[in-house]
Amino acid sequence: MTEQPTVSSTRSVGDQRAETRDRTLALFAALAEHPEESPQRENIRNQLVQLHLPLVDHLARRFRNRGEPLDDLVQVGSIGLIKSVDRFDPERQVEFSTYATPTIVGEIKRHFRDKGWAIRVPRRLQELRLSLSTATADLTQELGRAPTVAEIAERIGVNQDDVLEGLESANAYSTLSLDAPEAGETEGPSMADALGTDDDALEGVEYRESLKPLLAQLEPREKRILLLRFFKGMTQSQIAADVGISQMHVSRVLARTLTQLREGLGTPP
Amino acid sequence: MTQLTYDVSLRIPADGAYLSILRTATAGLAARLDFTLDDIEDLRIAVDEACALLLPQATLGSELACGFVVEPDCLTVEVTASSPEPREPSRDGFAWTVLTALASEVDARTDSGAVTLTLTRRRESLSP
Repeated sequence: MTEQPTVSSTRSVGDQRAETRDRTLALFAALAEHPEESPQRENIRNQLVQLHLPLVDHLARRFRNRGEPLDDLVQVGSIGLIKSVDRFDPERQVEFSTYATPTIVGEIKRHFRDKGWAIRVPRRLQELRLSLSTATADLTQELGRAPTVAEIAERIGVNQDDVLEGLESANAYSTLSLDAPEAGETEGPSMADALGTDDDALEGVEYRESLKPLLAQLEPREKRILLLRFFKGMTQSQIAADVGISQMHVSRVLARTLTQLREGLGTPP
Repeated sequence: MTQLTYDVSLRIPADGAYLSILRTATAGLAARLDFTLDDIEDLRIAVDEACALLLPQATLGSELACGFVVEPDCLTVEVTASSPEPREPSRDGFAWTVLTALASEVDARTDSGAVTLTLTRRRESLSP
């Protein structure tokens, strides 16, 4: 992937943007005129993708130096671009690039997640996460329940917004393997133990046939956490104590496992 | 069911890429109510799950209308998707089980051209 051609001095960047925008609109209009499956449609779709590859390139560059080759990032970003071209509705009063950006970035981030690479979290947030984790564990112990954001903020001496931001980053950038114990924590008791009885809890649910094999594929710990939360009604803190991991880790496992199940069932995440 | 009066409203494109905005808004409001981390994280996942239920039937290129009702001990989140053929999610399904475990109350309704999910989460009592 090469840099966008240098803009000659006679044409401003603004002019070029306007040109891309006009061409995009014209191509989407043309796309709408052709029936699905027609060869012209394929051609127009390709042109739209080509036209916006510089956008993918630009976005992919923002994730450079994070352990993944730029080419790979451009490639997965292009998948996001193609999805955006297929889903974009020109009737909507929004520019295509605005619409496509989150989808492209989403694909790139998903790539990092799938590869298990750490997206670099600013040092400040890393430290915040660490103190959040400690404060949450301590307060849970002291109070006998999960703490509130205000309580955590007071304990570590930051404001509530910082706590929320830290929690957000803990969720968004978790790159831990689902089954990895958190640093400093030892593996809890065998997870496979109570699985047979937990399965009975599922009996009352008329879940789709396809769910059963998906649940069977889950790691024993993920499955256990899922069942404890949704069928036994335990709170995240209780599960954390039971399984021997932190509440934040339980939350991440739940969110990830649900996404995994959804994807497996063919529902968009 | 009567129309709720929202304290906070938010409209986002009906696209999974925007759900983080809704999650963050939900967590922010719950924190203001002194919800515990358990409550907050449950709500975050619940909102995700609700949207995952709605998005497949949302009209392409439409918006999700999200409304919050903030009461002293209780946060209600309502998400409405416009849909060509609105249908209520199955109450026997796995997703519904997940929602009812995460929220104190869950409700769904359809109007002409729209489907709405309502989640209410009451704050845990702060005494252990």
